[in-house]
Amino acid sequence: MLRLKGGKIVDPANGIDGEVRDLYIDGGRLVAPSLAHKIHEDIDISGALVMAGAIDLHTHIGGGKVNIARAMLPEDHRGTQRGATPLLRSGSGRATPSTLTTGYRYAEMGYTACFEPAMLPANARQAHMEMGDTPIVDKGAYALLGNDDFLLRLMQEKAEQQVINDYVAWTLRASQALGIKVVNPGGISAFKFNTRKLDVDEASPHYGITPRAILTTLTRALHALKVPHPLHVHASNLGIPGNIETTLATIDAAEGLPIHLAHIQFHSYAKEGDRKFSSGAARIAEAINGHRNVSADVGQILFGQTVTASGDSMAQHRNSVHARPGKWVVMDIECDAGCGVVPFKYRDQNFVNALQWAIGLEIFLMVDDPWRIFLTTDHPNGAPFTSYPHLMRLLMDKSFRDDQLSRIHPDAAAASCLGSLQRQYSLYEIATMTRAAPARILGLTDRGHLAPGAAADITVYQVQNDAEAMFSAPEYVFKDGVLVARRGKTVGVTRGITHTVKPDFDPAIEKRLRSYFERYHTLSLDNFAISDDEMIECGSRALLTHPCARVA
Amino acid sequence: MNPASLVLLDHVSCPFCGLLCDDLSVTGDGKTLAVVARGCDKSRVQFGQAFPANAPCVVDGNPVSLDAAIERATAILRSSTQPLLLSGGADVASMRALLALADRCGAVVDHTNEGLMRNILVLQDSGWITTTLTEIRNRADLVLCVGTDVVSRFPRFFERCGMGGGMLGDQRPAPEVIFLSATPPAGINARTIDVAPNQIAEVFAVLRALVNNKKPQRVEPQLEQLAQRIQRARYGVVVWSAADFDFSQAELTIQAICEWVKDLNKTIRFAGLPLGGNQGDISAHQTITWQSGFPLRTRFTAQGPDYDPHRYAARRLLATDAVDALLYIAEFDSNFAPPATTLPSIVLGRAGMLPPPCTVFIPVGTPGIDRSGHLYRTDNVVAVPLKKLTERGAYSAPQVLNQMTGGLACFV
Repeated sequence: MLRLKGGKIVDPANGIDGEVRDLYIDGGRLVAPSLAHKIHEDIDISGALVMAGAIDLHTHIGGGKVNIARAMLPEDHRGTQRGATPLLRSGSGRATPSTLTTGYRYAEMGYTACFEPAMLPANARQAHMEMGDTPIVDKGAYALLGNDDFLLRLMQEKAEQQVINDYVAWTLRASQALGIKVVNPGGISAFKFNTRKLDVDEASPHYGITPRAILTTLTRALHALKVPHPLHVHASNLGIPGNIETTLATIDAAEGLPIHLAHIQFHSYAKEGDRKFSSGAARIAEAINGHRNVSADVGQILFGQTVTASGDSMAQHRNSVHARPGKWVVMDIECDAGCGVVPFKYRDQNFVNALQWAIGLEIFLMVDDPWRIFLTTDHPNGAPFTSYPHLMRLLMDKSFRDDQLSRIHPDAAAASCLGSLQRQYSLYEIATMTRAAPARILGLTDRGHLAPGAAADITVYQVQNDAEAMFSAPEYVFKDGVLVARRGKTVGVTRGITHTVKPDFDPAIEKRLRSYFERYHTLSLDNFAISDDEMIECGSRALLTHPCARVA
Repeated sequence: MNPASLVLLDHVSCPFCGLLCDDLSVTGDGKTLAVVARGCDKSRVQFGQAFPANAPCVVDGNPVSLDAAIERATAILRSSTQPLLLSGGADVASMRALLALADRCGAVVDHTNEGLMRNILVLQDSGWITTTLTEIRNRADLVLCVGTDVVSRFPRFFERCGMGGGMLGDQRPAPEVIFLSATPPAGINARTIDVAPNQIAEVFAVLRALVNNKKPQRVEPQLEQLAQRIQRARYGVVVWSAADFDFSQAELTIQAICEWVKDLNKTIRFAGLPLGGNQGDISAHQTITWQSGFPLRTRFTAQGPDYDPHRYAARRLLATDAVDALLYIAEFDSNFAPPATTLPSIVLGRAGMLPPPCTVFIPVGTPGIDRSGHLYRTDNVVAVPLKKLTERGAYSAPQVLNQMTGGLACFV
């Protein structure tokens, strides 16, 4: 048994805020102290802060579009390469690091679980293979639905909700997913039929289905199936000034059922002012504060070069004019989904970019409940995940934030209320939004906290005034009880597990899918679905299937 | 063959071209396999190839045990200052093992299919709009094949995409097919436009100018007609095979096609389909890209992966003696012999390959027959699972490569 002695525990899931306690680790788990277990090793961490390993619930770390971004942008990777060592494999990358490097970097920052939010069922094997080659951290993914021909046909035929529930459950199992995401509901499909914009109450050209109907149908399905994670929504009209109305309509479409709004910053734009672009953060924050069924991750942008990789082919095609450097990819995929990869450079002296930066921070600071707002940059779309420590400092340190605010485009600074927001996140709130809350909203009962029985995913920080420095290089990081990182360097390499859900469904749906696949697809149903054994071949160490039962 | 022991296998995936058809029916008697339904010339030959039982490993022309062959191979890599690991056919599992080995010994990694890099250079310079097989099968109403008859490399392409018969049930009219600078295969009812391969880029420059209402002084009538037909397409697809663009700076031709497609999409929907995936070239590209951050033609140096699509081309490295050892793998086609070289060389060839002139030869099984595995399809999206069909005692390339890696210390 290993004992971590004298650390200050910050564990919001168990209501502990800075209490000095010893932690005991045995067999990869936190355990209660007992005389039966001999302490083999003691690490004195007196004065240090202890949190559970952090969990990133929205990060594009694996799958086709990420790999297109890697292949397209060798310049992103040059100058960042690291050679192999007896312990580590080689790798590279800034905005879209190679898989091995991604695992090391996350662990070095104290993150122990990452969730890929846009796994196309048709491309699920690739996502799982890439995640299989991402060491140390646990993984999981949300499967995309809502632009797939099969669902849209079911809705067009006015299929019963139960049939759709069966299809959603089948998809979760077949693609080995933890949740369901919808990206620009109906819009990716509409783009294939040459529609360039689709509002929430606009019927799509081919199927005559509205995004609202898709949202309502899928939220109902996940609720009925008792899938812990609510529908993960990339709303319509991403990036368009005035899209705040779309976002509010999207909340409305959930009819009070749980719904998670991804990268809400990109969906919080009003169109006031001379430039017809302004912050809608206050109204969005008010909506989130007032709807307890709603959660969101921010998708903060930070200045610099990155690449945007999204399933939203409609939006990405629209944004391709802004590609910097000037190259981009858009794909239509398998009557199932799409993708678009557009490199992007966010500049602090560009009014729009500067205001995007401010809007994200406004939302962070105006949403009251850290259990329902999550720290993300929509990696790599707003910024690479390696900028999280910088973002944490922006949230925790008002003077640092004001200093940054003074450097952006002055008109954007003037158009934002950011300077007047006094709030500074506490360590407890940071621990909530990066540990306890994501574990809860994903249904991971043994992650994100430090009570006996939890996985020994633990991050130990040396307290520093500079939160960015503190969060960049934790003193110790343990994954399943193994020391994996020390002062920001990987010192141990383990393999994480894959988190999934497997709700039951009526097998009748498979019969229907089988004939559909034979008639329309170019892969058989049996080869579309991924078995547990194949997941191991894809590189997963093990699967952890979470029960489908709603936690109060 | 004893009919009593014949086993019929359905929904078999075929690893022998980038279409990765997964609907074959194959019979087997434990030794020999035969495609009995939905085969093509390629798959029938490749599945039907005899498996030489107890084919030995060879070192310096003499039969040796597997362990002895691996030991010698490891010694070659250990004493090499710059090895080249070259795929002439490997699936994802073999590529993963090959990359771990490359990392350990500081190798350059490339694939023999040079066409793939022509596409990658376009991706890295300007990008593209592309589509996948199921989109074409269900939604395309116009398919323009450029510089390729398609079927020589991808025999069942038209059938799989709902053209030329064989499709189940769908009432949708088959798309119109046009061949530009290529001859249509038998059974495909298609219009042709004769253009010399080295003029394809010029044709697409003209078509692009027309899309952008910049009419050149003189446009051939058939091109003007083509441009008009394209504008009427609801979902058109242009198909090319970079392997068939075997002329200097062919990437510029591909780029001309891709830029035209991008401009078309300002007003209509149209997409490209770069054909590829044969011999696992796309699988190799995908795997090295996610593991290292760079495509093929990457050298694993002490400072990390270093990518150079020209300097690290296998052909050039071998021709200029820039490498001092070669490891070559070809799991799918026993006729895919390694490039001729006098360097110390290690060949992992599909069992049945006549041991080529090399220092170490190890016969290996084929993913999709002798072991399970994965290959990426031509569209770069769908990874098709390959099943193990039979147990013939074949060596597994990933295991062999992992054993070599295990025998080497980190080169730095």
